[in-house]
Amino acid sequence: MRRTGVFVCHCGINIAGTVDVKKVAAELAKYPGVVYSEDYVYMCSDPGQNLIIQAIKEKKLDTIVVACCSPTLHETTFRNVAKIAGLNPYRCEIANIREQCSWVHREKDKATRKAISITRSIVEKVRRNESLEDVSVPVTKRALVIGGGIAGIQASLDIANAGYEVILVEKSPSIGGHMSQLSETFPTLDCSQCILTPKMVEVAKHPKVKLMTYSEVQEVSGFVGNFKVKILRKPTYVDADKCTLCDECTKVCPIVVPNEFDMGLTGRRAIYIPFPQAVPATYTIDEKACPGMFDTAIACGKCADVCKPGAINFDMKPEIIEVEVGAIIVATGYDLYDKSMMAEYGYGKYPDVLDGLQFERLLSASGPTRGKILRPSDKKEPKEVVFIQCVGSRDPELHWPYCSKICCMYTAKHAMLYKHHVPDGQAYIFYIDIRSGGKNYEEFVHRAVEEDGVLYLRGKVSKVFEDNGKLIVWGADTLTGKQIEIAADMVVLAMAIRPSKGTDELAKKLKIALDKDGFLAEAHPKLRPVESMTSGIFLAGAAQAPKDIPEAVGQASGAAAKAVAILSQERLFHSPTVARVLKNLCTGCGMCISVCPYEAISLKESKAEVNEILCEGCGTCSASCLRNAIQVKNLTPYHIQEMIKACLGG
Amino acid sequence: MAEEFEPKIVAFLCKWCSSAGADLAGVSRMEYPPNIIPIQVMCSGSVSPLYIFSALSQGADGVLVSGCHPGDCHYMKGNYYARRRLALVKKLLEYIGLEPPRFQMSWVSATEGVKFTQLIKELVKELQPLGPQTKLRRNF
Amino acid sequence: MVNLEQLKEEAKKILSSGKIKYLIGYENIGASWQVRPAFICRPEDVDRLVWTPACFHNLTRFIHDEKRKRAREKNPDLRPIGLIIKGCDSRSINVLLQEKYLERNEVYLIGVSCELAGVIDETKLRNHLGGLKPEKILFGEKDTIKVIVNNEEREIPAPQILAKRCLECPANYPVIADIILGEKIKRNPTDRYKSISQYEKMSGPERWAFWLEQFSRCLRCYACRSVCPMCYCDECVADSIAFAVTAETTAEEKAQKIRWVERNPEPSENIFFHLVRAIHLAGRCVDCGECERVCPVAIPLRLLNQKMEKEAKELFGYEVGFDASQPPLIACFRDNDPQDFIR
Ligand SMILES: Cc1cc2nc3c(=O)[nH]c(=O)nc-3n(C[C@H](O)[C@H](O)[C@H](O)COP(=O)(O)OP(=O)(O)OC[C@H]3O[C@@H](n4cnc5c(N)ncnc54)[C@H](O)[C@@H]3O)c2cc1C
Ligand code: SF4
Ligand code: SF4
Ligand code: FES
Repeated sequence: MRRTGVFVCHCGINIAGTVDVKKVAAELAKYPGVVYSEDYVYMCSDPGQNLIIQAIKEKKLDTIVVACCSPTLHETTFRNVAKIAGLNPYRCEIANIREQCSWVHREKDKATRKAISITRSIVEKVRRNESLEDVSVPVTKRALVIGGGIAGIQASLDIANAGYEVILVEKSPSIGGHMSQLSETFPTLDCSQCILTPKMVEVAKHPKVKLMTYSEVQEVSGFVGNFKVKILRKPTYVDADKCTLCDECTKVCPIVVPNEFDMGLTGRRAIYIPFPQAVPATYTIDEKACPGMFDTAIACGKCADVCKPGAINFDMKPEIIEVEVGAIIVATGYDLYDKSMMAEYGYGKYPDVLDGLQFERLLSASGPTRGKILRPSDKKEPKEVVFIQCVGSRDPELHWPYCSKICCMYTAKHAMLYKHHVPDGQAYIFYIDIRSGGKNYEEFVHRAVEEDGVLYLRGKVSKVFEDNGKLIVWGADTLTGKQIEIAADMVVLAMAIRPSKGTDELAKKLKIALDKDGFLAEAHPKLRPVESMTSGIFLAGAAQAPKDIPEAVGQASGAAAKAVAILSQERLFHSPTVARVLKNLCTGCGMCISVCPYEAISLKESKAEVNEILCEGCGTCSASCLRNAIQVKNLTPYHIQEMIKACLGG
Repeated sequence: MAEEFEPKIVAFLCKWCSSAGADLAGVSRMEYPPNIIPIQVMCSGSVSPLYIFSALSQGADGVLVSGCHPGDCHYMKGNYYARRRLALVKKLLEYIGLEPPRFQMSWVSATEGVKFTQLIKELVKELQPLGPQTKLRRNF
Repeated sequence: MVNLEQLKEEAKKILSSGKIKYLIGYENIGASWQVRPAFICRPEDVDRLVWTPACFHNLTRFIHDEKRKRAREKNPDLRPIGLIIKGCDSRSINVLLQEKYLERNEVYLIGVSCELAGVIDETKLRNHLGGLKPEKILFGEKDTIKVIVNNEEREIPAPQILAKRCLECPANYPVIADIILGEKIKRNPTDRYKSISQYEKMSGPERWAFWLEQFSRCLRCYACRSVCPMCYCDECVADSIAFAVTAETTAEEKAQKIRWVERNPEPSENIFFHLVRAIHLAGRCVDCGECERVCPVAIPLRLLNQKMEKEAKELFGYEVGFDASQPPLIACFRDNDPQDFIR
């Protein structure tokens, strides 16, 4: 028989006011197996704790129950007390007689009876508890960052600067993400490339960073501190070390496909460098475009012929690289909403209906028009430009219910920059309302209106169609109630921000959740905004929700700090109240395996086996096992059975 | 007036939502009848049908299993399994003739102190007219 | 109709090939109409085999014995065992596969189609013959059963003497087998859950009175459990079972085991036992009817199991024993599983 001690707290009058604590202590003293029972005004106070320590030592207690407030408050406190007195912390349990008893009842005798039942049931529980040691695992001191946009770059730099290795995986041939496509950035109007390029170079040169472009994560297994990741490196067919960037190859390549960096406003060759500042600075042969790749009968090889250093290698093969990392940051960014969904605005039909990123390219000094604003259709300067906000956003019926957050600001920026380029032109902005929360953002919007004469029209556009070389925009001004018709030369749509393509598949591989809109879900909307629900995997940038650059960078640094907090540990600890298999009872049916939310169970020689590090101790397995063959330590069916008995007895 | 019957209810509350919701009811000093004895479990998904049968067999007048709302389970999926498993238990118990209020399931989140209070009040009200549960109670 | 000669031929073929350890089928008990399981080890013994509407046994149950035996033997003969299986039996094979109790290559399955008949209900037959003793029972044309009484052949419409479960059967031919004899004619039961409908209509107190009367009779002989193809556990939770024994477990604790239910045949314990059985068979019971058939005090156990089968189907769209690759009923869920019972 165990020697159990019971300590009943008055909590001032919080408990003692409605529960006769003396009686509880006295009743428990009579309970079989209880060798010591005491009440005290504040058990959590120093004297209270000392009282417990002394009793454990003097009465040789081997298990204790503290009847007090909710275990969420003082379980740790009292388990530490037990530890100080030389008991295993798991030999201490809390009976919640405050929140779930004294505070919710008024009749003293009934509340007292209930407090006695609760405490007895916890006595029965603790008596069956085992001494447990925290589960611990070593940590692989290396991080994986997925996505090389500004968020991924920042996170990689922060982790690398903290002294840990980073593997940065980017699926396109260059890092930089969407920020590399932007012209100037709100609210300061500094040149996007100018502030981004140094960071791209820094991350690529950093001795702690291993950059893997044109690569994708293929498989992820393991758990916090010990992930195993398979990365697929696609062949670029160009040896970056030999390539001198002479650009002779693109001159001879006969194939032209739309240039994704310019959002299709220009073309590029099958062999190409995404943009001049690309990192790594090298060329890639686009497998899908180069005829020599998909049709071996066509032996073009013109690029190889002109390549003096002999950098071109058609025999390059995809490679699978396996890495081990301790933490993962997902920074896969966004894409714009598929424009084909917006037929009513004529996108795709009319060349002069553009999306925001295309307009960024027009504004960019290195863009297709060398920074001149010219219509794609006839290369003329547009004199009337209509910007439409919230295209596909805030539209729960047809499109997406959420606000894409950054469009108000970049549309103001677009209109403003347009005016800087075409001072005699007119910019109209259709908006629902203007959301300019952010440092200097409101001022920025005002500047657009006041200094640059941008005309804001509150309302929705119903249709865009072409008439006589003009784009006719039909809209309603909801402030005046008037119908508006504008004959514009160009229309720019602020398309909804969507999680980047492939986010859902990647999330599946990582076993992390998506929110209802398809963005990566954070563990808690307020308190854990950079963590995923899976421990050791963190989120950064627009992959989690639409974000502008400062926010993306801020979250990236936050995620990096979280990752470093893991990497800086020698070992990770984990609650030991995990599932255990009673092998003699297990038939290997695998039901527990199907239900475990953490894939913590596997079959070994036809018996279930629990990976204690993955197991979170939820007990779902134990309820699904028909044989009680899998049980969570210290809350087994045996515990529960005896607890029920104690609850109902007397 | 004869004293009203005081049903004994065993309540399996998941630690993360329902037990936290019950704590909140306490912190907010709400009041409900003292007929329920809580047993905190990690997740509603860990409640085996055997626990329910056992509680009834040991003389509980009512049994409650309460967990997080769908989608909110701390372990993501536990409450979905619980929902399916316990739906069968409920159907089975009613099929052999146990009064439906004797076994109940609820979703109570950590913020639903009011709901928890309300629920317990209702449960006690529903169980009182039924009197002691003797059908499954061990009587030897 | 299943050709008995062909059945014997197939049995002989597989036995002579040496590919199976033995074959379990059915044979007559002496000269009577009754049959019993037959273990055929040699090709020359296949003539003992019969296939009649009296072959109610679900032979998959014998796999448990074979597996237990193998586990004990030093150098077990690991060749598959052959089984003759009906539609319902084949579904129990699927459940065993689903629960990884069995590997597909551990059994060789000779399926027989019940076509438009099935197996008989002895009570129904007795009533039908009004006290006369049948000499032989055979499958007749289409949905009839031939009964030979006083040397005279009677053709009885099958539904009149078929077991209820056959009339409610969703799989009158095997859904998994190595070969299937007889025609795969689908017979769609008009009401799959007919047996329980009258009890579902009762009021709660009426149902309680009914079940209390039934369960009070239970002897706890565990015949139902012994015959059940799904009750393959070495230790049953309904017996006292062990809890984890660690270095710290005291002798006193070791002596104690979790005992969910007492062994005494008291109504409360009997009910507990049958509740556990029903809930543990939910999503696993294929309604082969064996438990009910062997119960010495005629407790209508099918009524419990069929209720669970029906709820599984209606609440969760779950059908037992048709797909060995699907996760078990309680090891999966759908986001929109009904929850109107939850407050
Ligand atoms: C028209 C427009 C104008 C804007 N103007 C401004 C502005 O003026 N100021 C401002 O602050 N913000 C502006 N923004 C917002 C800005 O673009 C974003 O805040 C920023 O780019 C977010 O960075 P990110 O790293 O999170 O995502 P991204 O820039 O999208 O980078 C994600 C990276 O991950 C890679 N990737 C995706 N999936 C995978 C995968 N599975 N595996 C590996 N790699 C993957 C992508 O190739 C990409 O390189 C503007 C946005 C738009 C649309
Ligand atoms: S559910 Fe139980 S019997 Fe089945 S594999 Fe898991 S522990 Fe073993
Ligand atoms: S307790 Fe939960 S996390 Fe642990 S093995 Fe069981 S189901 Fe998986
Ligand atoms: S943690 Fe509350 S139901 Fe799973």
